[in-house]
Amino acid sequence: MMRKPIVTAVLGALLLFLAVAAGRAQKLESLPGYVPIEELNLFPPDKLSVEVNLDGPLLHMVAAATKGDDPEFSAVMAGLKSIKVQVYPLKGVDAGAVKGKIGRAVHWLEGHGWQSSIRVKEKGDETYIYLKQTGDRIEGLTLLSLNPGDEAVIINIVGRIDPAEIGRLGKNLDLPQLQKIPARGGGARKPE
Amino acid sequence: MTRLNEPMVCEGALDLLETYLDGDLPREAADRFRFHLEGCRACAAELALAGRIQRELRVLPQPDCPPEVIERVVRTGRGEVVPFPSRSRAARLRIAAAAAALALAVGGGSLFIHLQRDQPRPEPSRAEIAQATRQARFALAYLGKVTRKAGLGVRDEVLEKRLVIPAARSVSRSLGGALSGPSAAAEPRKELP
Repeated sequence: MMRKPIVTAVLGALLLFLAVAAGRAQKLESLPGYVPIEELNLFPPDKLSVEVNLDGPLLHMVAAATKGDDPEFSAVMAGLKSIKVQVYPLKGVDAGAVKGKIGRAVHWLEGHGWQSSIRVKEKGDETYIYLKQTGDRIEGLTLLSLNPGDEAVIINIVGRIDPAEIGRLGKNLDLPQLQKIPARGGGARKPE
Repeated sequence: MTRLNEPMVCEGALDLLETYLDGDLPREAADRFRFHLEGCRACAAELALAGRIQRELRVLPQPDCPPEVIERVVRTGRGEVVPFPSRSRAARLRIAAAAAALALAVGGGSLFIHLQRDQPRPEPSRAEIAQATRQARFALAYLGKVTRKAGLGVRDEVLEKRLVIPAARSVSRSLGGALSGPSAAAEPRKELP
């Protein structure tokens, strides 16, 4: 009569072990806010003027490093799992093809449960901001921007996101003051 | 009495397929079945498939029936109530051990792969963290820049459609049409602070 509880306990412990192992093995790709930018194949990888790929461990270190100087920025970083940025210069490039790709990316986002937050089309410029929500929590933000004659951009931020906090930080940070951001292959973007 | 030329539907023909293959179909029904097959390629294909399956099943080796099953059938035939044998403790332990080994293999394997993936990554240097900080700030600043620009675009559009153009039209009307046309209507916008 004692056998059944023992077998149940052993199987329960094993299931718990499996669940823990599966939880530890959770990949960035499985997070709801993740967008497979490379798979969407928006811009040619060798022509990017800026490429940023920051993932969880590095972002946590950034959060730890900036905790004293900039606690607000640090708090935002601590909640993030990934930041990806791709900037593609459009000078001398047919923006029509890029426009089509951005349209397909927007379609992809809408087909994967992303909700449009900002959608502006003005004088050829297009800007889209999409949010991925799970319940009340925002777990992903994706920005797509097309500026014919200038550049096209995609930004994907994964993690615990407070758009107001990010907006406030973005407002306070000034692009020209930032130092050069290296692109793939050792290139660098000049401050605007 | 049914006749040969009386049509047979596919559903009826498929119901007779196994019986026909076994050779148990009465002659007249078999004739009608064959007559249907002559005009129905789908049923003919079904018959060919069923025939192939039957042939292949026949050439499979015949496994021996375990003696305890034979004994059980015989005893049941005699009218005896034969209880199902309970698994021995050793058998249960074997099953539990197999389940444990499987769970450990799957869980341990995924954990190992995960740890292996993390291991080659060296600890980032201070310079790398500083660079990452600049990149993160850049991403947020870029986001801020684009959203600001989009916000200004929305504001301008709303102001123009809802405020500037109606106000210009109103002024135009009050001046008796001295100002007219969309270009004139848009003029006052420049005077806005």
